[in-house]
Amino acid sequence: MPISDELAALPDADVVRLAQQGRELAFRELVRRYERPVFSLVFRMVRDRELAEDLSQDSFIKVLNNIDRYSPEFKFSSWLFKIANNVAIDHLRRRRLDTISIDGSPHASTAAEVESSALQIESEQENALDELASKELGSAIEVAIARLRPEYRACIMLRHVEGRAYEEIAATLDLPLGTVKTYIHRARHELRKALEAVRE
Amino acid sequence: MQERHLRPDEIELLLDGEEGFGVAPLRAHVRQCAVCDAELDKARELMVALDSLPDFAPSAAFADRVMSQVQVFEPWHAAAMNTAQRFVPATRPARVAAGLAAAVSAGLLTAAGTWAVARADIALLMTQMGLERVQEQVSAATSDLVATVLGKPGIETLQTSSPEMLALIMGGFVAVTGLGVVGLRSLATVSRRNR
Repeated sequence: MPISDELAALPDADVVRLAQQGRELAFRELVRRYERPVFSLVFRMVRDRELAEDLSQDSFIKVLNNIDRYSPEFKFSSWLFKIANNVAIDHLRRRRLDTISIDGSPHASTAAEVESSALQIESEQENALDELASKELGSAIEVAIARLRPEYRACIMLRHVEGRAYEEIAATLDLPLGTVKTYIHRARHELRKALEAVRE
Repeated sequence: MQERHLRPDEIELLLDGEEGFGVAPLRAHVRQCAVCDAELDKARELMVALDSLPDFAPSAAFADRVMSQVQVFEPWHAAAMNTAQRFVPATRPARVAAGLAAAVSAGLLTAAGTWAVARADIALLMTQMGLERVQEQVSAATSDLVATVLGKPGIETLQTSSPEMLALIMGGFVAVTGLGVVGLRSLATVSRRNR
């Protein structure tokens, strides 16, 4: 059996151990396993293919160049998603492309705060969404996801696209478990409202 | 029994399949309320749609671009293991022969070590003899040097003089040598300045 096939059969922890021993094929195997999930997460966060490739690449380079610091008590994928999410969020903060939820700030505690923070969508984002809708992420649900605030989006992606448990998402995003549940519940509620509007 | 329709957070509780005493009344309400039942169905549809969202693939050269910037570093212990593994024979009989040879070598080395430890007193005696011999050689060389510098009368004077006189002579020698060094250094400095 070729070495690459043997590597493909190993669990993440073993492949990471081989990478820590300086085996280049093990590094390649980790990239092969996670290039699509990481790219998908980042692409849905930044909504630009080229940029998503650059940011995903940065995430992998950060993780793989620090593979000797990886602690096996955590899942490798959680560590990788955490770095990728942080890279994407940092970029969004720098670019001020942040979306504003149609339901207002998740931290709003009064009706006035919710109202004042709701329904303010930047024109730049609208253009990005139009472009998005006409290109690869054309479906209504993708457009609705793109309108979510980034922290909701990351939670929804990890929960539904990557199938991660709530506890794992909390560890990955460094958030309390209750906050993760709240974000996912609010995100799904926003998505339902957005899709209803499309249906009507 | 619930008198009102379910709130979004209550719908989410049902979607997540949460169990608890608060969930049973919600389920009972949904069974009897067509509006909430429809709402829950819509929510389930969304869950299915979200779960079936596809992954996207980066460009084909993505892995190569990543690897071109990854520093693959082989730690010394891994390198040592790899090197050692290269010397391990491929076939089983060769491995058995190599193992036997290694065992014999290790046995011989252990025996030699044990013998050396058991004969530690001999080793100590031989070391002492060697040290005495070195000491004699150094002493003879020093005497030759003094005889060459001071001559026979000088040695006789030293041998006959009292300890105070000997100290005075040694002090004078050190003082003259020191003055000589200082004088030479000053001359060198003046000459450098003139240049």
